[in-house]
Amino acid sequence: MSRGEPTARRRSAALKLLGTLGLMGLVFQIFPDVAWAQDIPMREYGDFPMVGSRVAVWVAAQVHLLFAAFVLGVPMFAIVAEAIGIFAGHEKYDKLAKEFTRLLLVAYSATAIWGAILSFLLVTLYPRLWIYLAEIFEVSMWIYVGLFFLESFTLYLYYYGWDRWAQGRAKLAHWGLGIMLNVWGTAVMLIANSWLTYMMSPPAEVTPDTSPAMVQFWSAFANATWMPINVHRILANVVFGGAIVGAYAAYRFLMATTDEERAHYDWMGYVGNLIAIGALIVLPFAGYYLGREIYEFNQQMGITMMGGFMSWLWIIQAFLIGVLFLTGNYYLWVGMGRIPGAERFTPYTKYMLVVLVIGVMVWATPNTMIANREEIAAMGGTNHPFLGVLGVMSAKNTAVNIMILTTFLSFLLYRRANIRPTVSWAKTGTMIQGALFIIAAAIVIFYGIYGYFVSAIIRIGFSVYQVMAVLFAIFGVVGIDIFLARGAESRGEIRWGQMPPRSQYALFILAVTFTWLMGLMGFARSGIRQHWHVWEVMRDTSEWAATPALGYASVVISACVLIFLVLVAFIFWLGGLAEKPAISGVGPAASGGPELAPAGD
Amino acid sequence: MLAENLRIFAVVIGTLGLFTLVANSIPQVQSEVPQELSFGANVTAAELVSSGETLYNGAGGCVACHGLGTRAPNILTDADGTGPIGQRCGSRVSGQDCKAYLYSAMTDPAGFLVEGYSPIMPDMRRSLSDAQIWSIVAFLQDQGGEVTVTGADLSDEGGGAELAAPAAAAPATASMDPLEIMRANTCLVCHQFNGEGAPMGPPFDGMGGRIDADYIRQSILDPSAGASAGFEAFIGVMPAIFGTQLTAAQLEAVVQFLASQQ
Repeated sequence: MSRGEPTARRRSAALKLLGTLGLMGLVFQIFPDVAWAQDIPMREYGDFPMVGSRVAVWVAAQVHLLFAAFVLGVPMFAIVAEAIGIFAGHEKYDKLAKEFTRLLLVAYSATAIWGAILSFLLVTLYPRLWIYLAEIFEVSMWIYVGLFFLESFTLYLYYYGWDRWAQGRAKLAHWGLGIMLNVWGTAVMLIANSWLTYMMSPPAEVTPDTSPAMVQFWSAFANATWMPINVHRILANVVFGGAIVGAYAAYRFLMATTDEERAHYDWMGYVGNLIAIGALIVLPFAGYYLGREIYEFNQQMGITMMGGFMSWLWIIQAFLIGVLFLTGNYYLWVGMGRIPGAERFTPYTKYMLVVLVIGVMVWATPNTMIANREEIAAMGGTNHPFLGVLGVMSAKNTAVNIMILTTFLSFLLYRRANIRPTVSWAKTGTMIQGALFIIAAAIVIFYGIYGYFVSAIIRIGFSVYQVMAVLFAIFGVVGIDIFLARGAESRGEIRWGQMPPRSQYALFILAVTFTWLMGLMGFARSGIRQHWHVWEVMRDTSEWAATPALGYASVVISACVLIFLVLVAFIFWLGGLAEKPAISGVGPAASGGPELAPAGD
Repeated sequence: MLAENLRIFAVVIGTLGLFTLVANSIPQVQSEVPQELSFGANVTAAELVSSGETLYNGAGGCVACHGLGTRAPNILTDADGTGPIGQRCGSRVSGQDCKAYLYSAMTDPAGFLVEGYSPIMPDMRRSLSDAQIWSIVAFLQDQGGEVTVTGADLSDEGGGAELAAPAAAAPATASMDPLEIMRANTCLVCHQFNGEGAPMGPPFDGMGGRIDADYIRQSILDPSAGASAGFEAFIGVMPAIFGTQLTAAQLEAVVQFLASQQ
């Protein structure tokens, strides 16, 4: 090759480029309208084959949300478990935290994939809404994307650095990575929450005539329902994450081939259930806060949600919550079978079962009957003459608070099952604990009955007293129990792994129920917007504008749950291919920490 | 292993099936979209009443509150012996006939508050078109009364082809007298001053001795930002419309007037 050839090739390429540009310029001069066409007609809505646009976006959003809840919830209790491993010296909790994070790693990609699916479906099927929201929230969307980078890198460092940074200051720094993972994940959620809550509760000054450019960003971002949704979702993520972990452990338990494995996954399932039910106890209060903010934002929306066409949704919710409480307690009662000494508490479980069943029945009683005018006239009103008295919030708040106390009692009995306190004030301490339960229950029932004799605005305030009484009892009893259990004698080691299979099916039912409940609440949140993309600002004029009935919604929700569970099962199996989990060593000779296990473990 | 997997699958499917079955066993209610109404000038009373009834019982969302509960007046039944709404609407507000009263009740619900109820009804122009509102008015008039709504009452924009944006409210009065401004903008429906008005919100008497002008101004423009001590439960009740309903000069006149009340 001669030295002149590269130069000649470059000269030839430059000439070709200039020629192309010149030709383009000529074309634009001759055909300016074609070249610079601006008036491209845009469609208002797309159409998704077979199921339609609404169901397509619904499924994508719901499945994305289920994965997101998992990847946001798990890091929260992973860092707690790791902290117990670091500061209390219980290595098995560190191994548990690592196994949690392994599940998280494999689910993270699925979360992002479904997020991308959702984004593309929104862009293609609801372009007008997308453009509107994008103009208002563009900066937050850029930050959202940037946070993904931070979250991804932090997650990979957190997991893959686990064994490398296992001691001393490096371990503390590693734990710090876990904390930062929670920070990035929570920030991501807070940003996404602002978009969807804006659709539900836009600022009052935004009208159909307000151009997106004139919408005040912070006012739109921190709208009326943003913070209540944030609180509700943070708690719900912990609940959901615990439930899925419990189901994973249940599956591994049933497939285990050694006693060591069974013991490990039995313990893991117990921890998952403890996390899920423990966080569930405070979740209703967050839901109540959200409901109250919806009412304050717009009374009509609130009334539609609670007393209008969506009112029966809360009956379905009550049924599901009832299943959760009954199943969660059943798991604990069955679990007592592996605890020496627990047989002395077994006779009490039937009374707790009665209390729970009555609570569920009260909670599930509807207030307003859906009836035509003739039926209403025959009843003398929209409320049933006998059951109607149970359909109001006074009765329901009372029922749920009593159920919460009963479930907490189950946990307490489980914890105290195989120990014999040795402190000198043991009997007094136990009596004080009993008194706290009784006082809390009395306060709950008192205000529940009193609420029938006062106006609604005052009755609403009574729920705060009921909640405070229950929380005070819980914290008080736990505080006493921690000191009561110090130095306690063991009645025998917990026989981890010796659980009947039906107990593991309970964990599956819990996971399915929690997942379905999330789907139901997603329908509630979107459904109260009815035929609005953005409430009273941008109307939904597509063929899918009508809000479907609960039966239709339940079919879509069940499909979403099935898709999620199949995918998560596959993803967990994939994760197991690459690496086997570290068995914690929980078993007959294992020592444990009191915080997450029965006191005598 | 296969048997165990099948059992687990059966538990999952069974649980899903149970929840789906329960959800399909309860009354199925779908929230409809308010149908666009297109009426000509010769629309009959029967057509208006029929459309109004459909909206009232369905997409209009009226029955959520105006059922037989306690949230809002029971307008379709004989309340306290005064008859259904069509019989009593003409005598509710002095100087307002039935048609005018019912229309203003839907578009300016705070203008007249039925005793014993809270001012929670929204301005229906945010969700319904003019034609839809008039058809509901016709339906309500038909409950015990005479339907006087005609095609001439419907919007000039053509009977609701586009659902109404809430109209930028014109000032309720051109007066610059603070008391007249407050009366015209229904402030005294919830606040009391010098024995006039209702003692629901913070009284205007002595207001200047409790809060300063800046706080008064903010309370008018952004009432949900906070509440006077003792009225926290009413946050969100006062509408945030006065920023557009009052002129700047009227707003200042009211603010300075209230701030001067020691």
